[in-house]
Amino acid sequence: MVEVDSDLAARGAPAAVGELALPAPVAAVRGAIELRGLTKRYGDETVVDAIALSIAPGEFFSLLGPSGSGKTTTLMMVAGFVRPDGGAILLDGEDIAAVPPQKRGFGMVFQNYAIFPHLSVFENVAFPLRARRWANGAVAERVSWALELVRLGRFGDRHAHQLSGGQQQRVALARAIVFHPAVVLMDEPLGALDKNLRFEMQVEIKEIQQRLGMTVLYVTHDQEEAMSMSDRIAILNRGRIDQVGPPGEVYERPANPFVGRFLGEANLIEGTIAPQFDDGTRLVLPSGHELRAPSGSRCSGGAQGMLFIRPERIEITPGANAVGGPRDNALAGRIRRCAFLGNILRYAVDVDGTAPVTVDLQSAVGVAPLPAGAPVVLRWPVADSLILPAEP
Amino acid sequence: MTRTRLTRRNLLIAGSAVLATPYLSSRPARAAGQVVIRNPGGAWSDTQKKYIYEPFTTETGIEVVIVPTTLTKMLAMVKSGNNELDIADAGYDGLVELDKAKALAPIDYAGWKYTNPDDIPEEYKTANTAGMALYATVLGYNKDTFANNSQPKGWAEFWDAKKFPGARTLQDMAAGTPNLEFALIADGVPMDKVYPIDIDRAFKSMSRIKPYIKKFWDTGALSAQMLADRDIVLGSIWNGRLQAIADKGAPVAIDWTQHMLSIQAYGIFNGAKNLKNAQLYVDYAMQAKAQVGMPRELNYGPTNIKAFDMLTAAQKANLPGSPENMKRCFIQDVNWWGNNRAKVNATWSKWILT
Amino acid sequence: MNGGSAALRTLSPAAAAAPPDRTLLLLLPAMAMLVLMFFVPMVLFFVRTFIEFQGGRAEFIALARDLLFSQPYLTALATTNWIALTVTLAVLLVGYPIAYYLTTATGPSGSIVVLAIVLPYFTSIIVRTFSWMVLLGEHGLVNDTLRAIGVISEPLPLMYNRLGVLIGMSYVLLPYMVLTLYAAMRSIDPLLLRAAEGLGASGFYTFRRVYFPLSLHGVLSGALIVYILSIGYFITPALMGGQHDIMIAMLIDRELEVAVDWPAAALMSLSLLAVTLALYAIYYRVTDVRRLIGAR
Repeated sequence: MVEVDSDLAARGAPAAVGELALPAPVAAVRGAIELRGLTKRYGDETVVDAIALSIAPGEFFSLLGPSGSGKTTTLMMVAGFVRPDGGAILLDGEDIAAVPPQKRGFGMVFQNYAIFPHLSVFENVAFPLRARRWANGAVAERVSWALELVRLGRFGDRHAHQLSGGQQQRVALARAIVFHPAVVLMDEPLGALDKNLRFEMQVEIKEIQQRLGMTVLYVTHDQEEAMSMSDRIAILNRGRIDQVGPPGEVYERPANPFVGRFLGEANLIEGTIAPQFDDGTRLVLPSGHELRAPSGSRCSGGAQGMLFIRPERIEITPGANAVGGPRDNALAGRIRRCAFLGNILRYAVDVDGTAPVTVDLQSAVGVAPLPAGAPVVLRWPVADSLILPAEP
Repeated sequence: MTRTRLTRRNLLIAGSAVLATPYLSSRPARAAGQVVIRNPGGAWSDTQKKYIYEPFTTETGIEVVIVPTTLTKMLAMVKSGNNELDIADAGYDGLVELDKAKALAPIDYAGWKYTNPDDIPEEYKTANTAGMALYATVLGYNKDTFANNSQPKGWAEFWDAKKFPGARTLQDMAAGTPNLEFALIADGVPMDKVYPIDIDRAFKSMSRIKPYIKKFWDTGALSAQMLADRDIVLGSIWNGRLQAIADKGAPVAIDWTQHMLSIQAYGIFNGAKNLKNAQLYVDYAMQAKAQVGMPRELNYGPTNIKAFDMLTAAQKANLPGSPENMKRCFIQDVNWWGNNRAKVNATWSKWILT
Repeated sequence: MNGGSAALRTLSPAAAAAPPDRTLLLLLPAMAMLVLMFFVPMVLFFVRTFIEFQGGRAEFIALARDLLFSQPYLTALATTNWIALTVTLAVLLVGYPIAYYLTTATGPSGSIVVLAIVLPYFTSIIVRTFSWMVLLGEHGLVNDTLRAIGVISEPLPLMYNRLGVLIGMSYVLLPYMVLTLYAAMRSIDPLLLRAAEGLGASGFYTFRRVYFPLSLHGVLSGALIVYILSIGYFITPALMGGQHDIMIAMLIDRELEVAVDWPAAALMSLSLLAVTLALYAIYYRVTDVRRLIGAR
């Protein structure tokens, strides 16, 4: 019962964060992190392979990747819990290889909150201050500030087991920021929360980060979470960084098929790359049909390639006349099936000479989905297409 | 020598971890039946097996079942009417307790055919107990500390810590009988006037030696260990315990002056299931050839005078009850102890704390 | 019984219809063994002792008063508790680092330590105690070594005194503390320690503020087990102690085996049982409180 009530109470005060007076948002000057050739090996296996990154002060930076991609190991090396086998970690230009974890001065939020079960909420949040030998008065002042910030002002006397998962997460967050660290490291902090609560916490974390102007290095395997919160994202795959960029860029212009698929539903239509033309690159499907993409692709003519297009960029019209133009690609096909996903209708369309193409349409009241077997034409802008090298 | 006062500790020391598991000395010989005997376990039991149980079974077909248990357990079994024992092989003092509880039946001396009752001196026989081995509480000393026969001779000298310096040990109440007799002898009481013990006088005398007692021993093993480890250089000790470590090379020896003789005896239980076999067994075990094992292996003296004929002069010299040693000993009065042990125990409890 | 059925009626229909919890049946063999082999014999012993007691109630009360307020008994009671307390603290101090080491040890080193702790238990307590005597005697290994290297000129009194009792008992009881602590420490989430460190706490601060409080219920359990076992000890103090190191169990043993005074032994045993149960009640309350504050 406690959980439901308090969560509702928390949700009922959306303006709380904005009303807080201190500290005022400032342009962050501290908290720049640079990784140079950071490497970690366990036995024969290289789990982090020469990662290089540069994170600006005040930036919200996510390490995104599937499990086993090396993102948590990278974070643990930054935190100081795992010793790198090669490379350097620089904080504001200084190598912190020799600095033990407790002296690095990072705020940290852990996957399962890591709330101290024997301490009250107040003492949990006070922990980093007491470890730094703050005076009692200053501790009380700062802890209540942090608890107000995460909207747990009335919960100081409670114990961890009396809190819901979301509240525990807020305690962990308050504990990480209470001493105003320039950098906060977060390891899948929302992984244990249900979907709605997770979204809510994403907003809160982002707001607090901006308000306090702190650098956040955030590890997650959830691409939506990474995109909704981050200034930039690094996509990790098997210990290497496949791509770094702002959410829009990595979503729309993935560096390779892996990144394309990992960030959301993606169509990757295989074919042979035709010689470069002035007006762009062309991909010839096994059926002989040609698809176009803007020039600038790193692929050379004659090689195998893939045309990348997001399902929501494709228009679908009944009919069989698939003629593209300089601005549009078009493909003829037949509806294979349609799935209702709430806000969207997801079609799988059989197209000659390639795997079924996925198309997402906004669902609308009173509109019947197209029946299976219906002939349709798929059409999308050339500008939204991208030709990627085929996977090895 | 193992020991005779039966406590839980001693059984553990003797290695009899299994308290109530019968041991069958030979294959079942159903026709002739069996006899169930309690003994103290350990080396004692092994020697009895070799010299008495096995020959007895061979000759009569009666199997001997061994049950190692304590005096307290025997008393409990008798009181609860669950006694499955036929014979108790125990210290005479323990048998007196059983006899007081009316647990023992008369020994059928008249019906003996293996042993001539006249070969057993009267002081070792009572109506309900037959003494079958002798052991002595002697003055043991370290031969390096007291070289060239310079050891204290008798208890008055043992009590003289100035003339004979060094840490000592005496028997603890927990072992059943503290050395009040020696305390009286040290205080000038003649050996044959020790009983009845003047408890107050004895404890006063004990108080004089107490500062030099490193530890009172409550098990035979402890007294031997302390002497062997040179933690003490003088002590009262059972002769068999001392002989065992001396045989292993420890520089220790016995001064037989004023030693105390104690008796290990058989008692047959009232209402024993195998009464006839039990009487036959005791008859068999009292003969010289059966008794001679204990002197040879464990330095217990025999009670059958014929047994001395089967031993060498050297063996006899180290045996309690030998003609030579009988001249410098007194026999422990277990009846006095049976009647006064509780009182001595209460006095001891207070005295030890002063 | 009436109260029970009344409570049942107030349950919701769903709860009332639920089948009875049959997992309790799993405890049946253990319960049966405890009742048959411990509870029944003990009750029989006490009952029979008091039935056989010769004399009326007044005499019995007088006996109890004389016994339980006698100087030897009270002194032994004080000695017993002092020794138990000291042994508990000593075992805790020695056992805590060992248990911690075990939780962090990987590979064979941990197994070797566990084996070293448990192996002596394959021999009897008598043998182990006598081994100590060989080591700690006036001419034992410890004193001889110290004299040989010139640290001491006179032998240290390590045996046949209170120190000997403490050494012997601590050694025998150490595994109970180590294994209890080990179980408690294993349940501490290592992530919490990492969190503490990551939030700026030094190793010592992390221990004081996080690790030790979280291991506290293991400390309490281990201390209680060792304490309760300690107050019932008699072999080690009998062999390794001095004249004054008399514990209650030694008095009981003597009443039973030497004086053959069962009423006295039964009274002392009951008093010891009462102390043990009182300690357990305290422990139960303490752990209950612990659960209330939400410690794991």
